[in-house]
Amino acid sequence: MNLAFVVQRYGADIAGGSEMHCRQLAERLSSRHDITVLTTCARDYVTWENAYAPGTSTENGVRVQRFPVARRRNLKMFADLSDEVFDDLGSTPERQLEWFRANGPDTPALLEHLRVHGGEYDLLLFWAFRYAPTFFGLPSVSERAILLPTAEEDPAVDLDVLPEFFVKPAGYLFLTPEEKVLVTTRTGRLLGPSQVIGIGLEPERARRPSRDVLDRLGVPEEFVLYLGRVDRNKGCATLLEYFEEYIDGGGNTTLVLAGPSTLMVPDHPRIRALGYVADDVRRALLSHTRALVVPSPYESLSIVLLEAWNYATPALVNAYCKVLQGQVRRASGGLYYRSSREFQEALSWLLANDAGRRELGEQGLAYVDREYRWPTVLERVERLLEEVSRRRSAALA
Amino acid sequence: MTTSTDEVMAELQGRVRERVRAELVRHGASAALEDPALFADIDALLRAAIERSQPAALLLPELLGDPSTWRLDTAIKYQTHRGASGAPIIFVKQRVLMPLLRWFYEFNRDNFERQRRINQVLFACVQELAIELAKQRRELQALSAQSIQRRP
Repeated sequence: MNLAFVVQRYGADIAGGSEMHCRQLAERLSSRHDITVLTTCARDYVTWENAYAPGTSTENGVRVQRFPVARRRNLKMFADLSDEVFDDLGSTPERQLEWFRANGPDTPALLEHLRVHGGEYDLLLFWAFRYAPTFFGLPSVSERAILLPTAEEDPAVDLDVLPEFFVKPAGYLFLTPEEKVLVTTRTGRLLGPSQVIGIGLEPERARRPSRDVLDRLGVPEEFVLYLGRVDRNKGCATLLEYFEEYIDGGGNTTLVLAGPSTLMVPDHPRIRALGYVADDVRRALLSHTRALVVPSPYESLSIVLLEAWNYATPALVNAYCKVLQGQVRRASGGLYYRSSREFQEALSWLLANDAGRRELGEQGLAYVDREYRWPTVLERVERLLEEVSRRRSAALA
Repeated sequence: MTTSTDEVMAELQGRVRERVRAELVRHGASAALEDPALFADIDALLRAAIERSQPAALLLPELLGDPSTWRLDTAIKYQTHRGASGAPIIFVKQRVLMPLLRWFYEFNRDNFERQRRINQVLFACVQELAIELAKQRRELQALSAQSIQRRP
């Protein structure tokens, strides 16, 4: 099939979740389909400043067509507009559409390309409903569009203009069953064909990294791990608070934070902030930790959770995030918490029960083997592509 | 023997619930909470209410009337009653005062957001209790009617 993948940013050096998801699918499907990635010249998701050259190039075997961003995001205006549209008093559809425009990236040439050339692709896959290329581009090719909403339970998903948008695509690829429920609930009606695909992972267990890199960094033998941006929005402030209470209550382990920090991490003998870590350190941390902690209240799919399970490492997650709780319960791959007391009980249990902890980790790995290996993920994607194509052909006949 | 997340969580949550119950009773909470089974029912009822606290699922906001009289308004709207001549005032508010006061505004907004969440949860708890009460009233009425019919 001749497929277009529409995404707000694209490139091997871009770490965003939906961008990485798009790139991994494009690279793996490019041997079976003729794929063109339609994207912007932006690298920075905050300003959308043009960083790549516009035009067509080939990246890792995938054809990429980049369109320039017309204007940088006005952060102050966007913050004020966000306050306005997410206010409980409600906002007009016009202001909500303005929010999508202000969120950007504003790429008129990409939208024009979709209007003029959209019909030349058999199907077009759009990532992330909240960005302008998807929100404004998808409606012009809706009869051949597949949406990967990457929706999470944040205020944006409650905007009044979304139910009308969410019913436009011809098919859907969801990251988790919870995301499918969320989008279906928002539309209030049955959606078209869909598949829950998640993301694919390569098996890691056989090549367990050694502890050497951790010893060099002074990481203690027993530790629990947080991996990712150390940020209030990721639930890290609450995690630090709960962890200090756990230590004050007699807990005896170390919390290792691995990732760039926007938070003031307390100077505490039991808390180690490593900052950004290289891939080999990341792998060693995931492999040797007693448990991975995922405190985020909003996730559409926690890739780091799947990565931990890929090493048979159990997880301790924030139960207020339905996706995280759902994943952990489906996998039986860890525990969850809603309060400091539950956090303390669950962490104590994980550290005190070696056999139980290992079993939860093994069950997490079995879940990844069952649901998140590339052949499984690609087969689900292919099944949806075929179903949407078949329905389109039937409708045209 | 397989370790089940649900089973371990049920055990841990039971333990936490029991600790919380003991502390509440020690600090003078109602004697009714001395009954662990009753406390578990109350805990489940309130948890269910919290689960259902999304604004679109709440009845009380509908009954409260004009939202501008009770809802927390956390967005600043730059307005003036002076028409076109007020444009410089809006400019000063938006471009001079707001950048200076943004930190204070954001601090307050975060607190208002928390208050808004508490309000939603309390609305949900009241709704859940009203549902329970209405159901019990119905059951009581049905039982009363049955006992009247049975009387010789």
